[in-house]
Amino acid sequence: MPEIRVTPLGAGQDVGRSCILVSIGGKNVMLDCGMHMGFNDDRRFPDFSYITRNGRLTDFLDCVIISHFHLDHCGALPYFSEMVGYDGPIYMTHPTQAICPILLEDYRKIAVDKKGEANFFTSQMIKDCMKKVVAVHLHQTVQVDDELEIKAYYAGHVLGAAMFQIKVGSESVVYTGDYNMTPDRHLGAAWIDKCRPNLLITESTYATTIRDSKRCRERDFLKKVHEAVERGGKVLIPVFALGRAQELCILLETFWERMNLKAPIYFSTGLTEKANHYYKLFITWTNQKIRKTFVQRNMFEFKHIKAFDRAFADNPGPMVVFATPGMLHAGQSLQIFRKWAGNEKNMVIMPGYCVQGTVGHKILSGQRKLEMEGRQVLEVKMQVEYMSFSAHADAKGIMQLVGQAEPESVLLVHGEAKKMEFLKQKIEQEFRVSCYMPANGETVTLPTSPSIPVGISLGLLKREMAQGLLPDAKKPRLLHGTLIMKDSNFRLVSSEQALKELGLAEHQLRFTCRVHLHDPRKEQETAMRVYSHLKSVLKEHCVQHLPDGSVTVESILIQAAAHSEDPGTKVLLVSWTYQDEELGSHLTSLLKKGLPQAAS
Amino acid sequence: MDPECSQLLPALCSVLADPRQPVADDTCLEKLLDWFKTITEAGSSLLLLQENPCLLGLLCHMLKPQDLSPRVLAFSLRLAGMLAAQEDCFQYLQQGELLPRLFGEAGPLGGAAWTAPSVRSGWIQGLRSLARHPSALCFLADCGAVDTIFSLQGDSSLFVASAAGQLLVHILGLSLQGPAEGHPGLQTGDWPVCAQKIVSHIEESLRSAATPQITQALNVLTTTFGHCHSPWTQVLWVRLSPLVACLLEKDPVPAAHSLVDLLLSVARSPVLSSSSCGLWETLAQTLSHLSPTQAGPLALGILKLQECPQALRAQAFAVLLQPLTCVLEATAQAPGLLDSLDGTGGASVTVDTLLPSKAACVGLLCRTLAHLELLQPLPQRPSPWPQAPLLGATVTILRLCSGSATPTSDAGGHLCAFLVGCVRVQRAALDFLGTLSQGTGPRELVTQVFAVLLEYLTSPDSSPTVLKKAFQATFRWLQSSPETPGCSDLDPHAQLFLRELLPVLPKRLCSPCWEVRDSGLEFLTQMIGRWGGQAGFRRALLASEVPELTEQLLRDPESYVRASAVAATGQLSSQGLRVTPASPEHPGGQQKSLLAELLHILSTDSEGFPRRAVMHVFTQWLRDGHADVAGDTERFVARVLQVASQDLDWEVRAQGLELALVFLEQTLGRPSSHCPYAVTPPVAAPPSPLAQALRPLCRVQLFEFAFRALFDCDRPVAQKSCDLLLFLRAQTASYSGPQGSGNVPEVASVEAALQRWQAGDQGQPLGYLEPEVVVAVLRSMDLEGLRGALAESSDRVEKSPQSLLQDMLATVGALGEDEADCY
Repeated sequence: MPEIRVTPLGAGQDVGRSCILVSIGGKNVMLDCGMHMGFNDDRRFPDFSYITRNGRLTDFLDCVIISHFHLDHCGALPYFSEMVGYDGPIYMTHPTQAICPILLEDYRKIAVDKKGEANFFTSQMIKDCMKKVVAVHLHQTVQVDDELEIKAYYAGHVLGAAMFQIKVGSESVVYTGDYNMTPDRHLGAAWIDKCRPNLLITESTYATTIRDSKRCRERDFLKKVHEAVERGGKVLIPVFALGRAQELCILLETFWERMNLKAPIYFSTGLTEKANHYYKLFITWTNQKIRKTFVQRNMFEFKHIKAFDRAFADNPGPMVVFATPGMLHAGQSLQIFRKWAGNEKNMVIMPGYCVQGTVGHKILSGQRKLEMEGRQVLEVKMQVEYMSFSAHADAKGIMQLVGQAEPESVLLVHGEAKKMEFLKQKIEQEFRVSCYMPANGETVTLPTSPSIPVGISLGLLKREMAQGLLPDAKKPRLLHGTLIMKDSNFRLVSSEQALKELGLAEHQLRFTCRVHLHDPRKEQETAMRVYSHLKSVLKEHCVQHLPDGSVTVESILIQAAAHSEDPGTKVLLVSWTYQDEELGSHLTSLLKKGLPQAAS
Repeated sequence: MDPECSQLLPALCSVLADPRQPVADDTCLEKLLDWFKTITEAGSSLLLLQENPCLLGLLCHMLKPQDLSPRVLAFSLRLAGMLAAQEDCFQYLQQGELLPRLFGEAGPLGGAAWTAPSVRSGWIQGLRSLARHPSALCFLADCGAVDTIFSLQGDSSLFVASAAGQLLVHILGLSLQGPAEGHPGLQTGDWPVCAQKIVSHIEESLRSAATPQITQALNVLTTTFGHCHSPWTQVLWVRLSPLVACLLEKDPVPAAHSLVDLLLSVARSPVLSSSSCGLWETLAQTLSHLSPTQAGPLALGILKLQECPQALRAQAFAVLLQPLTCVLEATAQAPGLLDSLDGTGGASVTVDTLLPSKAACVGLLCRTLAHLELLQPLPQRPSPWPQAPLLGATVTILRLCSGSATPTSDAGGHLCAFLVGCVRVQRAALDFLGTLSQGTGPRELVTQVFAVLLEYLTSPDSSPTVLKKAFQATFRWLQSSPETPGCSDLDPHAQLFLRELLPVLPKRLCSPCWEVRDSGLEFLTQMIGRWGGQAGFRRALLASEVPELTEQLLRDPESYVRASAVAATGQLSSQGLRVTPASPEHPGGQQKSLLAELLHILSTDSEGFPRRAVMHVFTQWLRDGHADVAGDTERFVARVLQVASQDLDWEVRAQGLELALVFLEQTLGRPSSHCPYAVTPPVAAPPSPLAQALRPLCRVQLFEFAFRALFDCDRPVAQKSCDLLLFLRAQTASYSGPQGSGNVPEVASVEAALQRWQAGDQGQPLGYLEPEVVVAVLRSMDLEGLRGALAESSDRVEKSPQSLLQDMLATVGALGEDEADCY
């Protein structure tokens, strides 16, 4: 029995590092290859030994698919391809291919710089890994090999994020990666057609949440920034180079323009140009509004947001600075934070998640006295705010996507077990489909019904059409023919054609039956009585009395003979072909009932 | 444990015991266990428990029926096991019956929590840590743990199932540590009960009709024989080998992959391979029973063995070569080639049986080529090595893939249909072809190799990954071609090839795929590095468009390509192969000098890779005394350092220090040690007075750059600067002349500036410094202390256990229901 098997090595009942193995139609695909930012040893990567034990990685895996550029989805890729040794194709969208190496490079530098790690992938490894990437367009069916094909759909979330359909023959799986069902200021909403996959693997980060209005959060954010600037304070917004940062920049830029604010806004040097470049390059991936207005005005060419210089941090007066990295664990954002932390007029807004151990995590959990290097204690007097701008589908959005794709079953990943449990029940109730939520290392096996394509000969099809019945997908119809299996192909042809093609002689197979009739008359007379009876009963059929005394009804032949032992009994010998089996049986049962008495 | 942590621990334990308090981050518990592991490995666990009764309280709390978080339960099981690894602590915990209640039927084992894989995993890991002493073995037997482990071998979670298998191996090893090691002759019947039970279970599994059970048993044995080489393993193998051999009688052979692993593990074991329990016969039998795909890894494993019967090696090699023989046969190769592959003993197989379908053909050929690639460089590879037929087969495969082979038979036609355009096979074949360059081959075949490589490099159908491999293989083959006697130039054949290759390269450098442009540039850089000084190569290169195109790629839209173009142009320039601006081919002449162009990239490129590549080229130029640099070295160094010091990329700043060090060495004399940062005085001090020697360094403002870098927010830069200054200080010690008695106010002002920089202020530049001031500042600085501080990872504070405990405690209450966020 064919089956689909899914084993998460990461993202199974957690939001750590996505890495899901799917076996479908004998093909093995790895969905995402993420890294856990919370660890700084090998535990940050998925445990690939569970794949390597099946032999060489490149032989085992047919391809790797990366849904988007966030490190929890692609961070282990250079390790996997250059250090573990995967040499096969890696698929991702064009924007992901362009942005992925920048984030990997940023992370590498922090790992090597801050943590002093030596056993980490190098720049050259990132480049060599990216050379194995095959970039795909949205809705383009990409043939990985003769049997395996993939197709990308728009997922929102971040620039270039995609959902992927993986198809082998008639079996298919859709993997959503991270997605957002509501459009934001620079990206559109996720969309997929009614592809009815055997399985939909969906993220479930906000499995139990109906998110508050985005407008409210935006208003809140702008209000807080405005207040801080008005009171002469400095606002630090630690961000990752690309992603949510651009959403917040558009928000602030528009607000500054509307309110005619003068306080400067800065963005880490180099990044604005870089972001601008990529958003221009991939303008088709942004939302409709940005695409429409692009000709008159590029939304990413900011009037109020300028490149930051290290020396600006000491300038007097209010300012807003977007600085990297986003968790305040190294580099420029941490440097500025240390300078500004002591002033209660200042503010830091954390727009995303921070892992344990980072300064971001500490201040978000309310710690206000931080021990820095050299036993120095940094007292945090500045205002600390947390506002999540991560763009994931909420419970409503997930349900909407399930409804849109109409899968036969659903599998939840990238979420917390308790929340998944709730959503699982909801999906099962509402859509009447099975829903799974395997933990990391657990395998879900789904049996699938094989669908075998069969070609039909034109002759046979024409013959059927001649009967006036046109093919109709909704009304299955019985069709007789001969199935020929040759060279892994199935063809249905007429029996005559099959005999001709295969060079076989036709054999007639006839069923025979004896019916005893009590009739003392001569055989010819009995046959005549049978003929008359059948002629009167079977009006729609051609009943004939042949010169040799036998009777025929279509292909059915009836002959009367005397009983060897009992002259008062006649034996009717009935024979018919298998094509007329129905009529043959009917006729036999009719004769068994006896002949009507002759009118005297 | 330090007092701060001791103080925080009780509060944390009560948080963990409270099911209403969610644990913020799943990595925290892992890190907490790491910390306990460090403590228990360094000291007494019993003392730890006695000094921190809250830990015992937490473990006891796990026994109460309540709605516990599976993560905390799993953590507690692992912690309990870790603590009980020391026998006195184990006894202590046993007194309270804590361990049986945690790990026995009464514990989570029988409860609802057991459905969580993390709890089952925690249970196994706990027992794995605990099983370290004889008392633990009795405990395992008493609480019936071994039976549970047997059942967990078939767990729905891969992680749990695998850990269960490893735990069985560990218990088996532990139980036999004492008795069987002392008496190697002891038979399994005399082994401890626990070991006997495990052996019986393995036997039962091997006899089972279910493949998963057989796989489990085989995996346990593989790990056992792989990790343990005690004499008792021989007893075990003697007892189990007949059962293993029985598996070969089944058709198809069950769990073939695991069986191969086991047999290789046995063959590698020094204890087992020397014994005569029919191992080689079993291996031979397995080779002939398994399908070609399954037999490949076994054949490779056998050929990698240090010692093995010759007949078995021959059989294994024949298995490995079979697919290639098939290819040669199907494509009607010269009989000589075929004989040397086929002559290894295997029966002739046809394409139809060995490579029946496209998937089978592609899979088997890729595996075979990869296996041979691994085997080729090994000293124990078969001898004689059939270099010529292997070359012939690989070239044929590549031709079949490219569609240039014209098959003359039906079988060849089938192969051609399977392989044409197959990127997977192309990649594998090119990798292997590259490896084969280590050996020699008949001239005719080598010509064919170059021809097929050229075909791939020229073909518009070659994918970027295939092209990259074709470039790599080409370089390896060129590298291995014999040099013309008497001069170090390429041999005439390679020269001829190069003449054909160089017109191809410009096309690749203009490819719309950045991957191809980049691979082309990398190849070019390697070529110049290797043959840049040789006349034949130089003529061919200069006659091509390559140098000009390379320079154009300095403005490529893709930063990786720009970086590679910088490296290649730097090499071209170093070798005098750059197209001169004044050449008649370039009327207009006003071409920017390369130095200016590279400086422009260094100051303006938005990506780090090209800027780093420029720094690398500049350092190399300085080292080699490049003409553009040697003219006015001081001006060059001053300009580069000025730009590099402003760079946001710490790697560029660090490379700036590398360049500064080269300049410093050239100015003051090289250090005698191999290590550039070793603080040892030079053997022969130059005669010039110190101030005079330091003046050029002052003029290029090297000290301002180095002092600023000393307080760089990126640690590697600060470390490098510290090493540089320490080296400089050691160098200055041996000079004659003023010993740092510089102008006192000026020294004080520099020191004050340094303090401001340390505090994070950018401040004004120092301007020109007198050598005496520099020497005085250098001597007054605590560079050793700074180096010590920098040697510690800068997130040391954040990584500390105290920080972890604080973070975990602080998260309580701060974490809202929906605030567990992600990216």
